[in-house]
Amino acid sequence: MKTFSYKLYFFLIPALVYQLIFGIYPLIYNFILSLKDVNLITYMGGTSQWIGLFNYVQTLKDTVFQRAFFNTLVFTVLSLSFQFIIGFLLALLFNHSFPLKGLLQSLIMVPWVVPIIVSGSFFRWFFSDRGMLNGFLLSWGLIDNPAHWITSQILPLFSVTIANIWLGIPFSFVLLYTGLTAIPLELFESADIDGANWWQKAIFITVPFLRPVIITTLTLGCIFTVKVFDLVWIITKGGPGDVSHLLSTLSYSLAFSKFQFGKASSVLVIMLLVTISLTIFLNSIRGKEESSIG
Amino acid sequence: MGKKRQSKEWKWTLIVLIPTIIIISPVYFLTIGGFQTAAEIFHRPIYWFPPHPTMEFYNDAYVTLLPYLKNSLIIALGNLALTLGVALPAAFALAKFRLKLGKPTFFILIFTQMLPATAVIIPLFLIFNNFKMINNYFSAILAISVFTIPFATVILRAYLQGIPTGLIEAAFIDGASLFRVFWSIIVPLSRPAIATAVILTLIMAWGDFIISLTFLKDQTMQPMSIGLYHFVGQYGVEWNKLMAGSVIFAIPPLMVALLAGKSIVTGLTSGAFKE
Repeated sequence: MKTFSYKLYFFLIPALVYQLIFGIYPLIYNFILSLKDVNLITYMGGTSQWIGLFNYVQTLKDTVFQRAFFNTLVFTVLSLSFQFIIGFLLALLFNHSFPLKGLLQSLIMVPWVVPIIVSGSFFRWFFSDRGMLNGFLLSWGLIDNPAHWITSQILPLFSVTIANIWLGIPFSFVLLYTGLTAIPLELFESADIDGANWWQKAIFITVPFLRPVIITTLTLGCIFTVKVFDLVWIITKGGPGDVSHLLSTLSYSLAFSKFQFGKASSVLVIMLLVTISLTIFLNSIRGKEESSIG
Repeated sequence: MGKKRQSKEWKWTLIVLIPTIIIISPVYFLTIGGFQTAAEIFHRPIYWFPPHPTMEFYNDAYVTLLPYLKNSLIIALGNLALTLGVALPAAFALAKFRLKLGKPTFFILIFTQMLPATAVIIPLFLIFNNFKMINNYFSAILAISVFTIPFATVILRAYLQGIPTGLIEAAFIDGASLFRVFWSIIVPLSRPAIATAVILTLIMAWGDFIISLTFLKDQTMQPMSIGLYHFVGQYGVEWNKLMAGSVIFAIPPLMVALLAGKSIVTGLTSGAFKE
């Protein structure tokens, strides 16, 4: 089919060119911005100067950035761990046949399909001082005074993390469930004959078989968690003060609330470096295990 | 056999039902919130059912949000047309042929899909601003497509790989042109994957928040997601309207999830697993 070669590019080129113009070029532009002193005045006047790595130095020294970096780390590690555990337990529950399975599986997907402004608004109310969570905790006598879930110094980060865990359940559930159903049933049957108990089956059959799927779920989950923006923006806008900023919300607020585009870009470049190293990590692991993923 | 086994299976349904209910409970509380006054929403202890249900806030929210519907549809459908138009041919070329640019293209697709939205949006804002494209539906459609095109391409490619190459070769031997093969064989045969891609692309564009928030400052052009965000006012949130409006806005994707849950599952997994 070689003769079609050049005609085939009519099919491929639009996608390639599109992503280069609207995906890759903005990244390059972003990098250039990070090396210039672009703010509202210099941008409007077209007078921005090259300032080398000054934005990066400023950013790295900035305590708000350091806090956001640390927050992103905590947010990612906690989200990922709990999403994984909950998704895995759900996948184990679903790995049986029972009535209404299809319907329940669709319902588990609800957090993924609900628009982010809707789930964000819900959690904003849920965590508010007079909201649902405090309502429950007070009426059950677990706390005496309302906790400031999104209006204090430490808690907001954990509140948005809880919201994000909910949001990510469908993703880890779907991947792990698909992985589980791919394990040949005969393995469990012969283990049953040999008298293996539930734990032995889990440790010697389920986990080794799922290894590639687990790695994929964690790595993709990591990439998708580092870039979370909307949810946090809707619930706390990175506040109160700057205590619940992630790198994503910090860069957005630098750009569109403070109009420090250059500095915002340097935060983005740092965030991108994290994403790129994760992508490379993912590809190298998946490449090695390609044959077993199938 | 029957009875005992049956009851054991229903027991599983009940066990699975518990986490499922917890997971979907936000939708329930938003729904009843829309039927309640602000005092009832913040009542302690929490009301499990609206004590005096009123349609007032659903009505209010509906009337306020209706003007935004047109914009949501323009953005979602525009994005869908662009995404399919670009992704389907690309998926065909990537799935069925070995092209020199195949691998790099695929890499760029995967890479851009994983990019943080903010990393694309902030520079795009300045670029679009230079071209006087802020407050233009195209700016939102173009930016959302950066993320939906890779997503759709990966789903479609995974499915197209399963279409027997022999079918395509036979058509070529019969003298069919490349474009003919694409239209008369590939497109009809990949209908199920196209349906999945359409559903997921629509859900993504319908739910978009950050891109519309950034590029569409003119209220008459904003989609419903931003319309809802206006209920979160500068000086306090109109909770009843926000909750009622949220439910109205979430109905289309929720219906799709219930009717085509399977497609969403397939779409998410093929996106993650196929090389």
